[in-house]
Formats: sequence, structure tokens, C-alpha cells
Amino acid sequence: MPPKGKAAPKPKGTENIKPSTSSSNSTSSPAAQQPTTSTSPSGNTPTAPSTIGERSQQRFHESRPFDAARQKLGLSGLSQAEQTGWVSSQLAARSSTSTGSSRRTTPRLGPKAQRELWRHVNDASLPIRTLKNKKSAPTPADVWGTDRAGQKIAGYSIARYEERAAKRTALTALQVTSRAFREARERAKRGLVVTRDHREQPIVLVESAKDVQEEKQRRRQMAALRRELYGEMTGEFRQDPEWDGVEPIPQVEPEAALATISYPEEYAEAISYLRAVMLQKEYSPRCLRLTDHIISMNAAHYTVWLYRAANVFALQLPIPDEIDWLNGVALANLKNYQIWHHRHLLVDNYYPTLASGPPSTLSRFADSEREFLSAILAHDTKNYHVWSYRSYLVSKLGLFDAAEIAAMAALIGDDVRNNSAWSHRFFVVFSDPRQSTPGTAATDADPAVPREVVDREAQYAMDKIYLAPQNQSAWNYLRGVLVKGGRGMRSVEGFVSEFVRGLGEGEEREDVLSTHALDLLAEICKEKGERERADLCLRRLGEKWDRIRVGYWEWRRRCLDDGQ
Amino acid sequence: MIPDLFTELPPVRDALVTETSKQQDKTADLCLSYLAGDSGEQLLEYNEHGVPRLRRDSHVRFLHKSLGPLPAGFMAADASRPWFLYWALSALVILGEDVSHYREAVAETARAMQNDSGGFGGGGRQLSHLATTYAIVLSIALVGDEDAYEVIDRKAMWRWLCSLKQTDGGFQLGLGGEEDIRGAYCAAVIITLLNIPLELTPESPAWKEDGSATLFTGLAGYVRRCQTFEGGISGQPDVEAHGAYAFCALGCLALLDHPRRIIPRYLNVPRLVSWMSSRQYAPEGGFSGRTNKLVDGCYSHWVGGCFPLIEACLSPVDEDKKGGTAAAAAASKLPPAPESLFSREGLIRYILCCCQDTSKRGGLRDKPGKLSDAYHSCYVLSGLSSAQHQWELAPSEETSPATGRADPVWRVMPYLEDNDENDVQIFDQKDRLRPIHPVYAIPIQSQEAIRDYFLVVDGLKKL
Repeated sequence: MPPKGKAAPKPKGTENIKPSTSSSNSTSSPAAQQPTTSTSPSGNTPTAPSTIGERSQQRFHESRPFDAARQKLGLSGLSQAEQTGWVSSQLAARSSTSTGSSRRTTPRLGPKAQRELWRHVNDASLPIRTLKNKKSAPTPADVWGTDRAGQKIAGYSIARYEERAAKRTALTALQVTSRAFREARERAKRGLVVTRDHREQPIVLVESAKDVQEEKQRRRQMAALRRELYGEMTGEFRQDPEWDGVEPIPQVEPEAALATISYPEEYAEAISYLRAVMLQKEYSPRCLRLTDHIISMNAAHYTVWLYRAANVFALQLPIPDEIDWLNGVALANLKNYQIWHHRHLLVDNYYPTLASGPPSTLSRFADSEREFLSAILAHDTKNYHVWSYRSYLVSKLGLFDAAEIAAMAALIGDDVRNNSAWSHRFFVVFSDPRQSTPGTAATDADPAVPREVVDREAQYAMDKIYLAPQNQSAWNYLRGVLVKGGRGMRSVEGFVSEFVRGLGEGEEREDVLSTHALDLLAEICKEKGERERADLCLRRLGEKWDRIRVGYWEWRRRCLDDGQ
Repeated sequence: MIPDLFTELPPVRDALVTETSKQQDKTADLCLSYLAGDSGEQLLEYNEHGVPRLRRDSHVRFLHKSLGPLPAGFMAADASRPWFLYWALSALVILGEDVSHYREAVAETARAMQNDSGGFGGGGRQLSHLATTYAIVLSIALVGDEDAYEVIDRKAMWRWLCSLKQTDGGFQLGLGGEEDIRGAYCAAVIITLLNIPLELTPESPAWKEDGSATLFTGLAGYVRRCQTFEGGISGQPDVEAHGAYAFCALGCLALLDHPRRIIPRYLNVPRLVSWMSSRQYAPEGGFSGRTNKLVDGCYSHWVGGCFPLIEACLSPVDEDKKGGTAAAAAASKLPPAPESLFSREGLIRYILCCCQDTSKRGGLRDKPGKLSDAYHSCYVLSGLSSAQHQWELAPSEETSPATGRADPVWRVMPYLEDNDENDVQIFDQKDRLRPIHPVYAIPIQSQEAIRDYFLVVDGLKKL
């Protein structure tokens, strides 16, 4: 018995099979009488297929000559001849393809019926094999799937498809060659080579640069083909024979992770290689190149910087070379922090070499550093990281010198309000170990500072105040200098008074050219015990000249009472 | 209705033009138009004080979004993802949002960033860093609950912190990384919040054979070396004073001892207050980070957040409880701060008029013309919250069940402009934000919950 549930009606027993070519009724189509490969059973005029999908469909129908008509009209709607043809082709196909258990379900024909069947099959040139539909592909055309653009490959023209097939073949060929390269390299690593009779012999193979170059070229072609055929992206590193043997560790985020970033492919791949080499604690030129690559994409990645430093030191690279490289990176990433810590580490490492050489070595290095710092500060005169480094450099190399002070004078000359330059000048002048007491707070007096230095710096500040009296940088500097020199503020009373006129003499006559002068004047008055006048200065600041800070000026007034 | 302080350029200006003055003039002009409400941007309606409403909903949307998957353009933030968590969660909390539904996600994210050797990196398999660890620990505190707390491997954290401690008292930010005052503050926050033991491991660079050195040894001294001649604080000794570092310095000291005792002992307070107060500009109303630099919304927190700590430092000694602190009070003869040491009105105007992104994007920003981001949203809102509240470090009335001590506790109340009949509250009452701890920068309840949790844990099993 035929298994139940099969949709297609099946012939029941042998009596149904009466192969005959003689009779035909009026409904039979001409096609049914002459089912040849050039004519489709459905009666449509065959045309050359334009796509491979159509071609598949045609071949499918050609292998099932009566199917289309039967599906349309039903078995009983077919002519006798067609019925015979359909049944015969079904049986022929079944007996030629069925195996094992399915054969048991095939109706068994007697010898005579068999002969009859095969004669009919021969006469009518019925195909003895039918194409089947795959479960996953409901129509024959679906079997081709889609390409990387999501287009159905079935829609490809024959020529286009053949081109694609050729590329697949080419890819396979490249893969085979590439695998041979890798295997040879593996063996070479183990000191073995394969002889003609497929035995491994211990020979050291030196791979030529040409081989590597060819392999590189090959992988580039493979990557291009994979991309074109399947839309697969092959990362740069995967393509590079240099990175064979390193298994990248891709970033795996927990499903719920917050603030995840859709990294560009190139970055994600590079980082996955970084993780791998860091885990292996590998220090090598290729690691150095890897860090360069990542830094060029994301200079804010502190881990890669520290790893780069470790590589530089492990490989004992010349520090000046690394600094040259770093200069380019710094100019491309003006706001970056890590660059300057890296430079700091480089100088720490280089210093013993510098210090042990002739003095000219150190001074040449100092000059080149200062030259670069000037260049970078020209782009951003108040860059905090650059100034932090400059302060470190001065301490490390002992650059408390005229050149450093001149460099600050130049910057202050360009913009008298550049507070970074003022701050650095203060450091260079008052932290010079030759004329300062180590460990003195910046806000405390230091008796080790020579009198003429205090005079000089105070005069410098006052000269600059004349240029722009409301510039707080210069006033803060002046005050800082006087404190360092242990001088009272009253030592500049005459100067300060120049910026405050007619104080307390009414709106018409009172004029203040600098709130900072008025602030300082309050302090001078307090020093002199002129409490009322000090209070007047502070009151006028809060009332008129610097109202946004009124709360502060009020507090300062309270300080007058508390003996502060 | 808008005081002329905020509608006119200041009375004292110099004629000399330099790059700095050009930038300053441009910024002041730009802010003036925003403060007057005629910037041309589609700001909301201004109230009768000339102050627009806080665009709460659009900021909340912006912040939730910055926790979601970020596009490829955020690649440069690959090493600072923990910060995005902290900035967004903290800002949401300040806005009064409940963030507990992020608990599991924060725990998961944190777990993937923790290193076996202690601390959290900026992402999976990145080296541990004090700044990102600080951000993760605070994020965990913000979402709260044991499940999240337990992600932190405190024993490894302790070892790692010991390895960062330097002989000069400061902390490196990461192994082999730079040492600066951020490290001092972040380490002090982590140590006190997680109840990390203070003793050093022998592997620590700062370890001493006699066992006298601890994680806190020399830390205040390091902070002191960062005060500059201007009175402000630099990132490392001998550099320019900078607003962000001022907060780190005061925050660090406030964790080591009562501000009234420790700040005058290590810093020149009059110079510091002078420098802090100089950071506020008119007509902008906002704070700058350094002398002769421009206002930026983020300093509402970095500089604005210094004021509660300085006010605590200047707070008068409670007459009844003079006893032990009398000596300290005598050492600092500074008078108490007046009602406010800075112009709260100025800061609030700057924030609400100039720092809100009024487009669909939402979020808060540095200044008009700049794009909003999570960093500025967090610190601008923190600054606004601080300006709307008054803090007091008061002696505790009861002993803490966890410590058994009666430590002084921070008490907060809304800052009300009622001391003078001319003073009025310029912002809408609905725009009063939630207060956050002046040192830990998270709500006081979140800080107490995580601190008490680890105190109790240690009562049961030592680290």
C-alpha cells in the first residue's frame, strides 16, 4: 500500500497501467503525443532561458513531461495517452531512483508490464529521471539562494552566473595554494620539508620575501573574491601572512551591556589582535606596527599606549626614532593626553643615556624638545597636557635656564593673557633648585630666592600690567612674586594706586582701571592697618566694580574683622 | 527683570586685543544674547525673571540614549565607556529618574570590564584605570543593591590600589601610567566607599618595612604640592591651576578628615577661595576652569562643587561641642562664609539659558554653539543641583550602626533666597533638582547604602 498522506494521487495497483499509444481523445494536446525535449508538455513554446532560474525551471519541467498538465487539469482531465505517459514516466523515474525502503513502496510490476513500460518509455523518449524539489527550496529556482546583495542568484543571466562560477573556482584554487603556503611555513617552523615521496625530512626552509609577497597578493585576491561573492569581509590582518598563527580575540560583550559601540570593522579587528598579542606578552616589530595602526584610529586608548611603551623598551628601540614618530601623532591629535605621558616615559627611559654622554648630547636633545614644544604650542597655546609635559621636562633635564624664560617671554609677548605661560614662568623661576628651597609651598615665602630675581620678576609683571591692567594673569603673578620674596603687598602701593582713582569720592570721580588693583589695594590697606579703607575697597568691588563676586568680597570684609 | 549684571559687559575692560580677549569677547557676546532670550534658538518661554524652564524630558531622553548602543563615531570613547555609564546614570538620578532598572545591565557591563588583578578597565580586556574604576564603582552605587555591589572584587581591588600607591603619597592612574591628583581623589573615593583596608601589601611601591605606610600616607601632602601660586590646584605639582583638579583636591581632603581641620592644614585657604571665586564671570554667570580661559558648563560642577567643601571648611565650630575641635578652630581664624560665596543666580542663569540644547537632541553643553554630550549633561546638572542647595557638615546626633561612631554627616537643604527681600528665586520650583553628595557626587542615600553594605560585610568576613 502506498503510504498515506502523500498529496499526489498514485496509481493503485497494476490494473491501472495500460500503456498504450493508440487511442487519444479530443482533449489531448499535441504535446502529449510528442513529448520531446524541445517541446514542453504544457504546450508553451520553448524559448532559450535568459536566467539560470529559468533554465532550472525548464530542466525541471523537461524531466517531468506531464506534470504541468496534470497539475492543471487533474489526472482525469488528461487524455488516455497523456495518462499513460504520466504514469509511465512516474514509474520509470521511481524505479530508476528509488532505493531501499522506498523501493518497497513502489508497486511491483509483472515482467510483462515491465516490458510494456520500458517499451513505452523508449518510444516516447520519456526521461527516466525526474528532478525533485528540495524541501528548503520550494521552486527549482530557489535552490540558487541569494548573493551578498540579497538578490536572488536565480535571476542571474547565464553569462553572469558562469562568471560567478569561474570566480568561485578561482577562489578555491587560491585557497588550495594558500593552504600549501601555510603548511609549508608550519613545517619550516618545525624544521621539516616534504620530499617528492610525501615524506617529511628535516630541512630548514627559508621562505623568500617573494613567497611572502606572493602570498600577500594571493590573500588580497582571496579577500576580494570572498567579498564579491559572499559579502564576507576579510580583515587586513587575516590577509597578512605576517599575522598567521595569532588567533585574534574578538570583543564579546554581555548581552545587556551598556554604552556598547558599533566599532568599524578595521578597528574591531585590530583590537582583537591587540588582545591576543598582549595576552601572549609578545613584544615585536609587528606589535609596534599594530599599536601604530590602532593609535591612528583611536589615540585615546590608554592600554595600547602602555603596551607600545613596553614594546619600545623591550625591543630597545632608539628613543629619538620613537620621538620622531610621536611628533607626527601629536600634531594629528592636539587634544590627546596619552601622547604626552608616552613622551614622559620615553624621556625617563632615555635620560640615563643622555646624562652619561657629553653635555652637548643633553642640550641638543633639550633644544629639539623645546623646538617641538614651540611648534605644538603654536597650534594651541594653552594645551594643558603639553604644559604638564613641559614642566616635567624642565625638572627632569634641569632646564631652569634663560632659554626657557625667553620662550615664556615670547609667548607672553604674543598674548599677555596666556596664563599657562605665566604659570610656567613662575615654576621655572621659583623652583630652580639653585635658588629655591625644595618643598616650599607655591604660596609661601622662600628666603632662598635672590632679591634681584624678585625685583626682576616683579618689574616684569608690572610692565605687563601696564599693557592690560585688567589682566588677572599678570596680577596673580605679581602677587605670587611678592609672596615668594617675603615682601608685603605695600611694597607696590604706589604702582597699585595708579589704577584706582577717586575711591569713595562719588560715582563721578571714582574710576577703577583694574579690579585686581582694587583687590590688592584692600590687602595693602589691611597690612597698613587702614581697616576702613580696606573695607571701602572691598565694598566698592561688590557694589560696582566686580559684582558677580559680591559673596566673596563680603567674606573678605569679614576677614578684616577676624584679624585675617 | 534681568539684572544688568547679566545684560551688560563688565565695567572694567582693557583696550588691548589679544587672542584671549578676542575669544572672551566673542563668548561674552554670544552668552549675552542667550541670557537675554534673543539668541534666535527656539528656547522655551522665559519666566518673569528671564529664565527658561529646564527641558527635563528632552534631557532624560538624551541620557537614556547615551547608555544605548553607540554609533561608530564613538570609537574614540572605547577606553572610557565606564564614564558614559556614570555620566548618564548620575545625570538621570539628579533629574529625579529611577535608574534601578539598569541594575543588571550595569552589573553585567562592569563584570566584563573587571580585571582579575583588580580594578576596572575602560572596556573588556583593557588595563585597569583609576578613573574608569571610579566611574564603575559610582555607577554600581547609583543602581544599588547587593547583586551589583557583589560584582566588585574588593580583595583584588585592594591589591591593585596598593600597587598604584607611590612613595610621594600620590597614586598612579594605572600601572605604569601617569600620577596626578585625579588619582588621589578617585582612590580616596573608592577606598572609603568600599571600606578597603588601608594597610599596604609588601608589593606596593610605598610599602615600608616597619608597616607605618598606608594607602593614605602622604596623600594630603601630595594634594598640598598641587596648590599653585595662584591659589588654585594643578593636576600635578608645578603646573597651572585648573578647576577640575580643585574639586579633586578638596574632595580628596574632605575624605581624609573634616574639611575644617584638614583643608587649612594643607592648603592656603584665602588664596584658594580668591582663585575659586575668580572663576565666575559676568555677564556669562558660568565658571571658567583657569585664569583667562572661557566659561564652560562642566565647571559648574568642578568649580561650583568646591564651594560646599570650602563652606564646610569655614563653618563655625559648634559652641556646644567645642572640645576636641577648639584647637583646630583656633588654627584657622577664617570667618564663616556669607550666605553664598559665589553668585548662585549667575550660575543658574548660565546653565538654564546657555547650557541647554534646545533642539530635539536634548542634553546639556559647554556653551552655546557646542554640542551637548553626556559628560557636560552630568556636570552641568550637578552644578545646577549644587547651586540650588545648601550643605552643612553637621555633627551626627546618633552613632552609625555600622561604624559605631558619631561621624559628622552632610545635611542638605534647599537654598532659599529669603534672607533679603530683594532676593527671589529665579527658577521654577519644578526645576529644583535632586541633591547629590558633595564629595561622592552620587545621592547621599546611594553612598550610605554601599558604604554600610561593605561595613557590615566586613563585620562578618574580613576581606
